[in-house]
Amino acid sequence: MSLYLFQILNGIGLGMIYFLISVGLTIIFGLLNFVNFAHGAFYLIGSYLCFTIVSLTGNFWLALALAPITVAILAFFTERTLIKRAYHLPHTYHILITLGIALIIQELTISVWGPIGKSVSVPDALQGVFQMGHFYYPKYRLFVILFSAVIAFALWLLLERTRFGALVRAGSEDAETVSLLGTHIHKLFSLTFALGVGLAGLAGVLAAPIRGVHPFVGVEVLGIAFVVVVIGGMGSFSGALIGGLIVGLVQSLMTTIWPQGSSLMIYGAMAFVILLRPYGLFGRA
Amino acid sequence: MMKQKKSSLFGGVTLAALATVIVMPMLLPSATLATEILIFAMAALACNLLLGYTGLLSFGQGIFFGGGAYVASICMINWNFGLLSALLTAMLTGALLAGLVGALSIRRTGIYFVMLTLSFSQMAYFIAYSLSDWTGGDNGLLDIPRPALTLLGFEISDLVSSQAFYAFVGTLFMVIFVFARRVIHSPFGTTLVAIRENENRASAVGFSTNHFKLLAFVISGGITGIAGALYAMLLNFAPLSNIELQMSESILIMTIIGGTGSLFGSILGAGSIVLLGDVLSAVWPRWMILLGVALIAVVLFMPSGLWGGVGSVADRWREYRRRKASAIKSQEVN
Repeated sequence: MSLYLFQILNGIGLGMIYFLISVGLTIIFGLLNFVNFAHGAFYLIGSYLCFTIVSLTGNFWLALALAPITVAILAFFTERTLIKRAYHLPHTYHILITLGIALIIQELTISVWGPIGKSVSVPDALQGVFQMGHFYYPKYRLFVILFSAVIAFALWLLLERTRFGALVRAGSEDAETVSLLGTHIHKLFSLTFALGVGLAGLAGVLAAPIRGVHPFVGVEVLGIAFVVVVIGGMGSFSGALIGGLIVGLVQSLMTTIWPQGSSLMIYGAMAFVILLRPYGLFGRA
Repeated sequence: MMKQKKSSLFGGVTLAALATVIVMPMLLPSATLATEILIFAMAALACNLLLGYTGLLSFGQGIFFGGGAYVASICMINWNFGLLSALLTAMLTGALLAGLVGALSIRRTGIYFVMLTLSFSQMAYFIAYSLSDWTGGDNGLLDIPRPALTLLGFEISDLVSSQAFYAFVGTLFMVIFVFARRVIHSPFGTTLVAIRENENRASAVGFSTNHFKLLAFVISGGITGIAGALYAMLLNFAPLSNIELQMSESILIMTIIGGTGSLFGSILGAGSIVLLGDVLSAVWPRWMILLGVALIAVVLFMPSGLWGGVGSVADRWREYRRRKASAIKSQEVN
C-alpha cells in the first residue's frame, strides 16, 4: 500500500513539473499562436544553470531564483531577434525555426558542460525524509509538489486577476483587436514568451536534483510537454495541470512495471486524443 | 507537348543528377562516403515528395527508414533473402508503415498532423526498443550481410568492394530519381502541388485530397524503406538510432537545407550535410550548431534552400551578363 502511495506522490511531483513545462508551451500557443519546439531546450538551460550555480555557490535557493530569470531573459532576446520574424509564417515554419534553435542550444550545452550527465545534490535544508506514521517520503520531493502548487496558484492569479493576465487572455481570443484597442501587442508577446519559457527553466531547476541533468533530455521533455498540451487541450491552463498530472502518474506507476510501456502509452494516448478529440479533453472546440 | 514531357524526364536536372552520381566517387575520398550521400539523398528525395510537393511536414520518415532497415536485415539474417528481394521487402515495409501512419495522420491538418507523425515516430522507437529479440534493442542489429547482386540466377557482382556497392546504389538512385520526376510531372504530381498550395480549393475542384496525400505517403515511405535497407547493408549494422526521432529530423533538415520542391536540391542537401558531418565531426564534434543556424537561415531568408540559392546566383549572373552586354551595346551606339 505504502509503495503505491509513494509512487502516486512521485507521480504528482513529476506531474507538477510537467505542468510547469507545458503551461508555458500552452500560454505561448494560446496568445502568440506560436509552436515552440525549443521549449525543451530552454528547460535544459534551466537545469544546467542550476547545476552550475549549485556547484559554484552551493546554494540551491540562489539557483531557484536566478536560473529561471536568466532563462526568461534569454527567451526574451530570442523572441526579439528571431521568433518575432516568424509569427506571420505558417506553423510548419515555427516548428522548423525552433527546431534549429533547439539544435543550437543542445549542441552549445554539450560544448559548455560536456556530453555526460551531471547530478545536482538536494539542498541541505531538504535532505532526508519526511515521516508520517509508518510512511516516509523524501523532503525534497514533497517540497517540489508544494512549491509548484504555489507557483501554479500564483500563475492562475496572474492570468485571472491582473491586467497583464486579462490582456493575455483577451489576446488569445483575438490579438488583432487587443492591438487595435491600444495595447502594445509586440511587448505583450515578448513578455508572454519570456514568461512561458521561464516556467520551463523553473521546471528544469526543480527537476535537476531529482533526475540529474543530461544534454539529451531536452528532446524527451519537449515530447512529453506536447503530449500534456495535446491531452489537456492547446491553450488551456487547467488542461495543462490535469494533463501534466495524468502523464506524471502514468509514468510513475508504470516505471515499476514496464518503463518503455509508459512512453508507448502516453504517445498512444496523444495520438488517440488528436484523432478522437482534437481540442483535447479540456480544450474549447 | 510530347517532347516537352520527355525532356523534363530525362533532360536537365536528370542529367545533372547522373553527372553528380558519376563524378562524386572521383572527388570524394571514399566510395563509402559517396554511397552514404546517395542513400540519404534518396531519403531526402522521398521526404521532399511529402514536404516540398504536398506540403506535409512529417516527423515519421525515421519510422520508414528504420522499419525498412530492420525488416530487410531480419529477412537477410534469418531467411537468407537475396539483395533484390530484401530491398523489395524493405520497400513494401516502408510503404505499408507509411500507409498506416499516413492514413491516420492525414485525418488532421497543420500542427495536429505534425503532432500525430511525431507521436507515431516516438511509438515506433519504443516498439523497436522493446522488441530487442528482433531488433537488438539498444545494441542494434549486428552482422547484417550484403548479398551479391544476382539476376535470373546469374551473379552480376558480389558487391563486396565499396566501389561495386556504390555503382549498385548509384544505379538504383538514378532509377528512383527518374521515377520521382515522373511522379512529379504526372497529373498526380501536379495535384499534389495543388494540395500544397490550397487544399480547400483542390478538394473543391473535385479531387479527393486525402487519397492523394495517402498515396504520396506510400510512395515516400517505400523509397525511404529502400534507403534504410541500403544503409543497413552499407554499415552491416542497423542501429536503434535509425528509427529515432533524430533520424526523422536529420532527413527533414537535409531536405529543407537542400531546397524543398526541387529533387536535385535533395542531393545537394544530403550531400552537403553528410560531407560536413564527415569533415567536421573529427575536428569539431559540435558541428551540428551549424545545422541549426543553417536551418533557421534557410527557413527565414532562403525558403528555396541551397538549390534555390544556386538558382538565384545563376539568375543574377545572367542578369549581370545581360546588363554588361547591353551597356557595351549602348556604348557602341554612342
